[in-house]
Amino acid sequence: MKVLVVDDEPQIRRALRTSLEAHGYEVATVGTGDEGVLGAAQGSPDLVLLDLGLPDMDGTEVIRRIRAFSDVPVIILSVRESQTDKVAALDAGADDYVTKPFGMEELLARARATIRRVQPEEPAAPVLRFGELEVDLAKRLVTQSGEAVHLTPTEYALIEAMATNPGKLLTHQWLLRRVWGQGYGTETTYLRTYVRALRRKLGDDASAPDLIVTEPGVGYRWVGEPTS
Amino acid sequence: MTLRALGVGLLVPILATLLALLIADLGAASQVAVFMLAIVVAAVTGGLWAGVLAAALSSLSLLVVEDPDRVLRFDEPRDIVAAVVFLAVAAVVGFVVGNAADERDRASRREREARLLGHLSTQMLTGDVPDRVLDEFVSVLIEPFGLAACELVVTLDGQEMRALATDELERRGGPTEIVPVVVANIPLGTLVAERPPGRRAMNREERLLLEAATRQAAVALDRARLDARARLAQVDAETNQLRAAMFSSVTHDLKTPLASIKAGVTSLLDSSVAHDADQERELLTTILEETDRLHRLVNNILDLARIRAGALIPRRVPAAIDEIAESVVGRLRGRVNGVAIELQLAPDLPEVPVDPVQIDQVLTNLLENACRHSPRGRDVRVHVGSTLKAIRVRVADEGHGIPPEERELVFDAFYRGRENPESSGTGLGLAIAKAIVVAHGGRIWVEETAGGGTAVVFELPKEGQTA
Repeated sequence: MKVLVVDDEPQIRRALRTSLEAHGYEVATVGTGDEGVLGAAQGSPDLVLLDLGLPDMDGTEVIRRIRAFSDVPVIILSVRESQTDKVAALDAGADDYVTKPFGMEELLARARATIRRVQPEEPAAPVLRFGELEVDLAKRLVTQSGEAVHLTPTEYALIEAMATNPGKLLTHQWLLRRVWGQGYGTETTYLRTYVRALRRKLGDDASAPDLIVTEPGVGYRWVGEPTS
Repeated sequence: MTLRALGVGLLVPILATLLALLIADLGAASQVAVFMLAIVVAAVTGGLWAGVLAAALSSLSLLVVEDPDRVLRFDEPRDIVAAVVFLAVAAVVGFVVGNAADERDRASRREREARLLGHLSTQMLTGDVPDRVLDEFVSVLIEPFGLAACELVVTLDGQEMRALATDELERRGGPTEIVPVVVANIPLGTLVAERPPGRRAMNREERLLLEAATRQAAVALDRARLDARARLAQVDAETNQLRAAMFSSVTHDLKTPLASIKAGVTSLLDSSVAHDADQERELLTTILEETDRLHRLVNNILDLARIRAGALIPRRVPAAIDEIAESVVGRLRGRVNGVAIELQLAPDLPEVPVDPVQIDQVLTNLLENACRHSPRGRDVRVHVGSTLKAIRVRVADEGHGIPPEERELVFDAFYRGRENPESSGTGLGLAIAKAIVVAHGGRIWVEETAGGGTAVVFELPKEGQTA
């Protein structure tokens, strides 16, 4: 499993290399956006960890260039202040972000989730299971503890969009386009109303969520643990 | 003796003589009475000297009127005695009455002056805004001095100030007085007092009074200038004090976690000591905790620096405060020990244009504060509701509460409650929360809860509203 680290801080590169190698990853590190794009093209990594504040190029631009030739998962390493940059990077095609300073545990969990999603071990199962919750993609049916949960078509489209992307941070724009259509992107009120309805029907507490986590100002994340 | 006294003193006895000649038939007693009346009238209208002059003239006149044949022939002792007695009586009457009239004039003038000066000095000394005081000053002078316009131009600490008052019923361009404004031999500017055209120029007394009034103004201005300097110096001192407090607090707060981290790491790196797994874990846990503490502190200091630099500009997007509250509560529930956070959300809350990261920060700070001050086993309650114009968030704890006199102070940077000055907080959380809320056009305050605890409440205006 190959990881490309793109960060201009040597200390961060060293810390990431040490920790990731200790967990069995093969690590390449570079310090500029140009080298990052080159590394993604030539080294065919399984995951890119990308710092947004690079000296030569905006991180969003790096993602755009990588996305021109590759679907490799990209996790952004950002500082708290760059919220809008973060959303822009996610909308440009990044898969997730981790805020600096981060714990290795958190980073590794995100890395695993992102890689797993991109390289499913088996073809998409017709039925997704998250504990007591089942989403039957073929029958478009949701059951909880064996009982059917009655969802409107929009609510179903929303749970399908989220449950098929477990662990991934889904931006408002992405969800709106996926569920409502290409013409949408800023109608966060719709999204909020449906997420709330969905949470109520699934019995998920927003302030202690088991299924849907809110990332304020950014989007939502499906955190239901897949079970087989 | 003034011209007026001379005129009155001459004119009145002449008129009295004519009148006495007209009533000659009524006898000498009536004529004497006419002259006595004339002396009194002259003294009252013309003052002391007019009275004395009128008395002298009247005594001569009386002799002529009584018997024209005897004009200036004081050969008979009887005539001389009569004339002298009349002169004496007339002089006494003229003197007494004239003196009284002068005294009355002087008294009323003094009273007017005293009133004017008194009014001016109270006006000038109470005012802390020199501009307004100057306007007041020039307009007060218009009426008593019969001015068409009065203008004051002064330069205080390099700043020119100008005040002009006019009487709208009068034209300008008449006789003009220019009085310098001077304090302790330092010229501050000039006062220009202008009467309407055709009016006489000021006499000496009026000029003196105007100068006295101007001196009052000069003294008051000087005082205002010194006050302003003193206030500046005070603000300076407070800023320095705050800087010193900030410096010592930041130094202490930054160095403490750094010290623990360095101690832990050097201990782990020390090859001469063999730590068992528990010890190693304990050291590492300490390092992690202290790193988090340092992280929070650095964030706070950066926020504060941003506030001070005026760079705390919200990047507003339509956001749901209830969602932000859920997310913050969800994040903190795992972090705080022994305190339960209860979240209540009103239904159907509208989105408001806010910076989600900053509002997240406000809620995080308020909740961390509340949890820190809440006794173990007690609840912290977060309520998100809606008023007509704003979204209202209330974070209430069951701690000791904050005394009323401290409720404003808690929002000052580096303020730590008197109850626990060694609190683990940075003393910055509420200051940052306030700055963010204010930058959003909202407001924040402290209330007492029913149970004696503290509630911090903030409001963020809804779309198109100002809170």
